Amino acid sequence: MLSLTLREAISKLKDGSLSAAELCEKCVTRAKRVQELNFIVTENFSQSQKEAVHSARLWSEYVSGRHNEWRKFGGIPFAIKDNFCTKDIRTTCASHILNNYVPPYTATVVQKLQDAGGVIIGKTNMDEFAMGAGSTDSIFGPVRNPWNYKFAQSGREHDKINDWHIAGGSSGGSAVAVATGASFGAFGSDTGGSTRNPAAYCGVVGFKSTYGRLSRHGLIPLVNSLDVPGIFAKSVDDASLLFNAVAGHDTRDSTTVTDSMDTFTLPDDISVKHLHIGIPKEYHAPGMSPCVLEAWRRAADLFDRVGAKVSEVSLPHTQFSIICYSVLCCAEVASNMSRYDGIEYGHRAKNEDSTEELYAATRHEGFNDVVRGRILAGNFFLLKRNYDNFFLKAQKVRRLIAEDFRQVFGGGVDILLTPTTLTEAPTYSWFTEVDNRTRAEEQDVFTQPINLAGVPAITVPASLSQSGLPIGLQFIGPNFHDKEVLTVAKWFEQQTNFKRLDLSHLDKS
Amino acid sequence: MAAPMKICRFRSCAIYSRIKSKPKHSHLYKHCRHNSTQENWKGVIGLEIHAQINTKSKLFSASSTAFGAPTNTQVSIFDAALPGTLPVLNGECVRAGVKTAIALNSKINKVSKFDRKHYFYADLPQGYQITQQRQPLAVGGEVEYILIDQNNRYVTKTARITQLQLEQDSGRSLHDEEGRQSLIDLNRAGIGLMEIVTEPDFENGIDCSSFVREVQLMMRQLQVCLGSFREGALRVDANISVHKPSEPLGVRSEVKNLGSLKDLRNAVDFEIKRQKSVLKNGGTVINETRTFDSESGKTIPMRDKERLQDYRFMPEPNLPPLYLYDNSTAAQSRDQNTTNIDEEIQNMPPLPRDVRNKLINDYNLSLRNVYVLVNEDKGVTFFNEVMKYSNSPPNFIANFIVNDLLGVFNANDIKIRNSPISPDILAEIVDIKESGYSTVAYCSQLVELYLKQDITERPKTVVDNNGWRQIVDTETLKPVCVKILKENPKLVKKYFKGKEDKALSSLLMKALNETQMKGHPVLMKKIFTELLEEEKQK
Amino acid sequence: MLQRRLTYSVKFYIKRCFSSKVPEKPTWVTIDRSKLPKEPKVDREVVDLLERLSLVEFNNQEGVDRLTKAVHSANLLHAVNTDNVEPMDSVLEDRILYLRDDVVTDGNCLKDVMRNATKTLEDYYVAPPGNIPLKQKERDYGNKT
Repeated sequence: MLSLTLREAISKLKDGSLSAAELCEKCVTRAKRVQELNFIVTENFSQSQKEAVHSARLWSEYVSGRHNEWRKFGGIPFAIKDNFCTKDIRTTCASHILNNYVPPYTATVVQKLQDAGGVIIGKTNMDEFAMGAGSTDSIFGPVRNPWNYKFAQSGREHDKINDWHIAGGSSGGSAVAVATGASFGAFGSDTGGSTRNPAAYCGVVGFKSTYGRLSRHGLIPLVNSLDVPGIFAKSVDDASLLFNAVAGHDTRDSTTVTDSMDTFTLPDDISVKHLHIGIPKEYHAPGMSPCVLEAWRRAADLFDRVGAKVSEVSLPHTQFSIICYSVLCCAEVASNMSRYDGIEYGHRAKNEDSTEELYAATRHEGFNDVVRGRILAGNFFLLKRNYDNFFLKAQKVRRLIAEDFRQVFGGGVDILLTPTTLTEAPTYSWFTEVDNRTRAEEQDVFTQPINLAGVPAITVPASLSQSGLPIGLQFIGPNFHDKEVLTVAKWFEQQTNFKRLDLSHLDKS
Repeated sequence: MAAPMKICRFRSCAIYSRIKSKPKHSHLYKHCRHNSTQENWKGVIGLEIHAQINTKSKLFSASSTAFGAPTNTQVSIFDAALPGTLPVLNGECVRAGVKTAIALNSKINKVSKFDRKHYFYADLPQGYQITQQRQPLAVGGEVEYILIDQNNRYVTKTARITQLQLEQDSGRSLHDEEGRQSLIDLNRAGIGLMEIVTEPDFENGIDCSSFVREVQLMMRQLQVCLGSFREGALRVDANISVHKPSEPLGVRSEVKNLGSLKDLRNAVDFEIKRQKSVLKNGGTVINETRTFDSESGKTIPMRDKERLQDYRFMPEPNLPPLYLYDNSTAAQSRDQNTTNIDEEIQNMPPLPRDVRNKLINDYNLSLRNVYVLVNEDKGVTFFNEVMKYSNSPPNFIANFIVNDLLGVFNANDIKIRNSPISPDILAEIVDIKESGYSTVAYCSQLVELYLKQDITERPKTVVDNNGWRQIVDTETLKPVCVKILKENPKLVKKYFKGKEDKALSSLLMKALNETQMKGHPVLMKKIFTELLEEEKQK
Repeated sequence: MLQRRLTYSVKFYIKRCFSSKVPEKPTWVTIDRSKLPKEPKVDREVVDLLERLSLVEFNNQEGVDRLTKAVHSANLLHAVNTDNVEPMDSVLEDRILYLRDDVVTDGNCLKDVMRNATKTLEDYYVAPPGNIPLKQKERDYGNKT
């Protein structure tokens, strides 16, 4: 049952061959079984099961013809990254400072999901405040990749010496939720690749739509001008379903576009012959592993063979993109984090001598080194003496990067094809050898230019590496061409027939 | 030879009298309050006016702006800076800003942007204020206002505006000294403010307060800011420095949160004095933030240690640029809340300076009268109403209202807008005075009477009933004058000796007493003069 | 070692593919750091200033080193020629900012905004004294209900 895609599950619910209550129960069981992967921070099992039972009743009424309407996702479990506010469910951003924060409201995209019947199975683990590329810097401990993972036998303690692979970040928990079958889709956030990176490492689809299509109201921000709610799904069709369900202008978010959006369904019969696929040469960056290069090559050749026009293009400022991203990210982080003082919410230190003492102590106790480091760096770049040389300079480079994309797309290219990550999912021990900032710079190299330009991008699992770990490829399109990007990705998915992770053997053990 | 003794030009000045009587008191001159204008040092002041915008909801959130609500009940999740919340701009605030910018003769930026200004304060929950630093709503502009200068003359002056920007107000903190804590109420946090920044065109306290008063009147007229200083709807920060005119500008200090025109005047004047004395004693003025204590009348430093502040301005990423339209571009906007500059220009009501100029052009009123009438809330309306019923010349009416009526009102803490005396009654009183039906003194008494008692009769009837008619009949007055002259030979002698004015004054006094103050003074003076001249000829 | 083994077998695969548009070698250029402007120093004064402005401590030398590295990395931006380039605030810069009607639809949710505050007193948030003038003064603009 858990190997079904969202689309398949919905059609089975509609024809009555599947029970929503049973489905949810299976997901909860799976989630509990794989909890050593540490992907859930706050579980919502009993509530979600209650809602699923209610949905099951509504489905039966629909199936029997007693009721005409049906809720798209009635009773289907989804996982939500812990930086989306969910009313009455603890939302921590994996940080001490929000460890006991219970929001009084729900994020718009989550609300839309719930209005369509979706149930929240739990809040997923992440890097603290979405700062990181491995989901390793969380107060709840790191998230483990289910691929190549030696699950403990039921009833036995898992082997701690085991060197497992990271799930990618910062939305690692959500990726794992979908990869393990514990949920039928998940929300993450994507600031510099935080959805696409873990999606690639965990062998699922990760979609970052055009900036301005999805509401960020309720998404606790990392970098406001780059953040986009990210969608994890088992297939491209599922991603499209979820996207269409939650997209649209939100009066509570001034950065959503007011243009009306026509919802769409992806065709099943797709031809890519008429397309011009661009291969940006700068995306062969130092450190790329041969298997990633091979997957990229094979994909390019695939398009070539079916008659699409495939050509090498150039995005000349790619190399500087990660630095530009770091500067802008740190500056915005410094600004966004200044609200955490313990007065209105969040952790509050005991030092009450003066406001400044209290704030300093609260922030010291509440934030980890990564967050503090970025705040300090950000404030450094924003100092009057440094503003022009660093912040303004980074903004100018950002324009050049966005221009690169605009020019390439304007020159006739429909879709760009690139790798999503440099390598397969690295091991935890390798990943933690160096600090968070250095790692993030490496890991986000192919994903963050897309955020700087605001364009839509999707990662689709392409193949397995020599060690049997998934490798994802990224499709990028021009602004507001989400449908086109999804369509090409679906076609590619149909060609590659990637075998999703199957953990059904755990059900027996 | 000793240096010429410095002396105040105001004869009524107490210091003047002391120095005049005993030259050795000349050292007291430095305490003379008129002294500041005699010295070489010149005060240079720039102002920042913060005015709460008169809209129902806040600038970036839809919570109410009503004054006096229970603690923290007008706070939305955005105002409390809960994570994940985003600003959404109130179109009406933009319109208010545009209207004010037009009134200030500023150049409106068709595209303006928002920025974050970072600093930590308990009443600033986000840790930053959303304002407009790089590209504000409007730049430049000027305001013409009336100033009472040091010679008590009413003069027109112009001050230049640097910019006008929209920004958020902060919450309120109440300091609980006993419990060693601050209590924070965020009802005010997020209310829209217009900040009007001026060039350093002001010289002293009265200059500043006159300007601010003009801006306040202007905003009232436009209905963009109706609040008073007392409610905290209007606040002023002053940047003050002193210098000698030939030298470059001095180091300035900032005095924040002045909550009344009086505080503004006193703070500015004190600060100028303070800086002057620092410099005179060889010290240097520090660039610091100060606050004003109304009780002691002094400015005091806000921080015990001078520290540099860097606000780290950053563009507000959650608000795309604000576009304004005019008739040529209006078609491009699809939102009904966007502002059309040309439309706003067309719909502008007359501003205080327009009202003043009209009064001067139509009725030839004096600048002083016009200033006072416009300055008073509903003063011009009242004047116009009285004009409808009265036959007296306009300036006479204005003089009466300004000199006679307002004096009494102020003494009794009454405002013209709540005048207990209706315009038609006042018109009759004015006419009575103008025609000489009753004396000047009795007219004042009439006003007091109508103010304090509930009188139903018309003024003329009251005059008749109380026997307050002025005696203007020469036949009745002449015998009185003759009698007084007969009874006061000394005064007659005084007159002949050449001290005519003094003699006449005394004679007049006596004649008034004789007539129970009802004799027409000018007439009686004329009669006296005639009689005495006749005597002289003899 | 694992990498080397991979490379041998993969090379075999590559030879069998079509001639690909994907570049064979990394295309990034090495930047000559000597041509870049001098980096601002992260000295004691800057450290103190940042700690005060951020209300966050560096904690130790490691923190300072981290910032120095970040600055060192950021300095590479100067290798890009940005003459006549306008800074980009947001990708939505040519979009019309949505404006709200002036209607009260929010607020009046005292419980919601107070529920997560650790310390409150009679519906007020509580903060320690600080940023106040030397002489204590109650900044009360209206009637306290």
